[in-house]
Amino acid sequence: MRRFGFLGAAVFTLLAAIAWPAWAALHVDVTQGNIQPMPIAIPDFIGGAQGAQIAGVVRADLDRSGLFRTLDQKSFVEQIRDINTPPQFNNWRVINAQALVTGQAVAQPDGRLRADFRLWDVYGEQQMLGLSFATTPENWRRIAHMIADKIYERVTGEKGYFDTRIVFIAESGPAMKRVKRLAVMDEDGANPIFLTNGSYLVLTPRFNPTAQMIAYMSYAGGRPRVYLFDLESGRQEMLGNFPNMTFSPRFSPDGNKVVMTLESRGNSDIYAMDLRTRAVNRLTSDPAIDTGASYSPDGTQIAFESDRGGSQQVYAMNADGSNVHRISFGGGKNGTPVWSPRGDMIAFTKQANGAFRIGVMRTDGSGERIITHGWEDEGPTWAPNGRVLMFTRTERGGRGSSIWSVDVTGRNERRVPSPGSGSDPAWSPLIQ
Amino acid sequence: MSPTRNIQANNRLAFASMAGERQTPLGLIGSVLLHAGIIGATLFTFAHKLDIAQESAPVVPVELVTIANKTNLIATVKAPPKAEPTDEEPTPPQVQKLDTPPQSEPKPEKLDVAPETKPEPPPPEVAPEPSPKQPPPLPKVKPAPASEAKADAPKKEEFDINKITALLDKRDAVQASSPKGKVADKAVKGFGPQTAMTMDLQDSLRSQIQQCWNPPVGAPHPEELVVEFELFLKPDGSVAQPPQLSGESESDASHDSFTRAAAEAARRAIYTCAPYKLPRDRYGQWQDITLTFDPRQMVGQ
Repeated sequence: MRRFGFLGAAVFTLLAAIAWPAWAALHVDVTQGNIQPMPIAIPDFIGGAQGAQIAGVVRADLDRSGLFRTLDQKSFVEQIRDINTPPQFNNWRVINAQALVTGQAVAQPDGRLRADFRLWDVYGEQQMLGLSFATTPENWRRIAHMIADKIYERVTGEKGYFDTRIVFIAESGPAMKRVKRLAVMDEDGANPIFLTNGSYLVLTPRFNPTAQMIAYMSYAGGRPRVYLFDLESGRQEMLGNFPNMTFSPRFSPDGNKVVMTLESRGNSDIYAMDLRTRAVNRLTSDPAIDTGASYSPDGTQIAFESDRGGSQQVYAMNADGSNVHRISFGGGKNGTPVWSPRGDMIAFTKQANGAFRIGVMRTDGSGERIITHGWEDEGPTWAPNGRVLMFTRTERGGRGSSIWSVDVTGRNERRVPSPGSGSDPAWSPLIQ
Repeated sequence: MSPTRNIQANNRLAFASMAGERQTPLGLIGSVLLHAGIIGATLFTFAHKLDIAQESAPVVPVELVTIANKTNLIATVKAPPKAEPTDEEPTPPQVQKLDTPPQSEPKPEKLDVAPETKPEPPPPEVAPEPSPKQPPPLPKVKPAPASEAKADAPKKEEFDINKITALLDKRDAVQASSPKGKVADKAVKGFGPQTAMTMDLQDSLRSQIQQCWNPPVGAPHPEELVVEFELFLKPDGSVAQPPQLSGESESDASHDSFTRAAAEAARRAIYTCAPYKLPRDRYGQWQDITLTFDPRQMVGQ
């Protein structure tokens, strides 16, 4: 009889399973959304002027990303007096904040600055993140950028890019006698520093993976050559001693190689130099112009531009130069390929219909999208999270050029504040 | 397959199991037979189900009836010529019509929503329903006052008279406009709330939530960021308890930061757009909702 009991239970379970759908919930598939910045409240941090400064930079960072909208402090109902007690979430829902950041800046006995912050989910009524940073007081901007990065990462799921730097060409003077200097600045345009004095032309600077070294092309010795600039020591060195011009350098993802173009009797080809052994390895040998090489983030492939097929197009090959194949088929001329740090896309400059625009495509050339709409937009560079791009924009009628950023989706196009005119930006990796 | 054969099988099974107590090989056979019996029992159950269905109407027609009702509700004018199970395809246009009104007022009432998120006793001024019932039963009382089940379901009448009367009113209106939508529909009653006209509810809810959903379009693989939430609503359309991730999304969100972010974005959408404007007299149909947020169509925009 016990068996019957089991059987009965089994039958009952099965019955229940069959009957269950009859009482299932109402199913709703939401497939369309409303892409808009997330409203976030970031009151000044506790801690006087320093606290306000830090919060100001965090707000500016998040606003600039286009994914957040910081709320006006005047609308705040509650004043944060202690970041270690939960806020009254009602007070923040009233002003439609979906997240709240509370923080404090504390001068420590040893003279260091400590900044604590908490990120609150206003509707979920819980803390999403709470962190503390300490540094020397001069570094307060970096702390603010790191806080912004952490908030960005917690909310979007991917790493931020605010604690990064941009190396670029700062331009000044009249068009006929342009002075171009190598310069670096923070991602938000703060702390610009000129690295060269402008007495010679510099072009195409690129960071190495630790953001301590810059490879660039310079006419310092009278002839165009690729140089390295060590940011810590300020030391410059010419990379290899080649008889002809070298240009368009870029580091490999491990930082051990620089890939660049060597010109010889009108033919440009791509070479890789091992920085430890200084051994040079030729990667392309086509009679056409091959240049603009960029490694994939895993270092196994290189994208480059070539006119071997008649017009300038983007090609890819293995890192040893084998398996060359064209990947851009979207029309027009396509150049300056840059592999995304995520590895999923390649950004490039498209020349078509009399305009230069920035585009992105998958690494096999599919899914091409043009994401800027200027008259002359060129030379894309990726944020370390592969989510945002910077590029050089030259306005029609050419009054110099400026640096712009745009989301990989094509949204949130905005000018990056730089001293004077700027061009040829290259984004650093996240600073360690 | 037939009930009698199943009973025989069960008897055999009983003997086999008794034998199994004496000898192990027989126990094995018994086990095999037991399994066979269970399978047989399954079939039996199923067959029984089908029988019921045959008595009244096949399963599919039930849903058709559903749509017919809905159609009548909205586009009263069209209704007259159609027969009971009218399989009207004009469903999509209706969807759109429904969309517009609810969109208008998502936000003003947020303040009210806020306090309610916590499990508190004093919720809706709305219905004369006993307040204690609401928080707990919502999830479980799914066999709620299905709109079509109006005639029988006596418990529910006690449960909420207003609801029933409202339903009756509606029916009358429908019938008035389309005199043919009659008795055959009623045969479907035993099936539960979801068989009723829910497409308009789905569309209404969808259009309301879409306003507030900020989909994770910039993430590396948005197609993998589909998240599913189980949501319980109060009769006033506010969120009854914190929405829970369901299905695979729950485990995904625990170890993937992108899925977690997608889930949080979806939850924010649920809260931000509450309270939802849905017909109160059909509360039984929308008190328990499974919401799937699927960003795939948004990719690349």
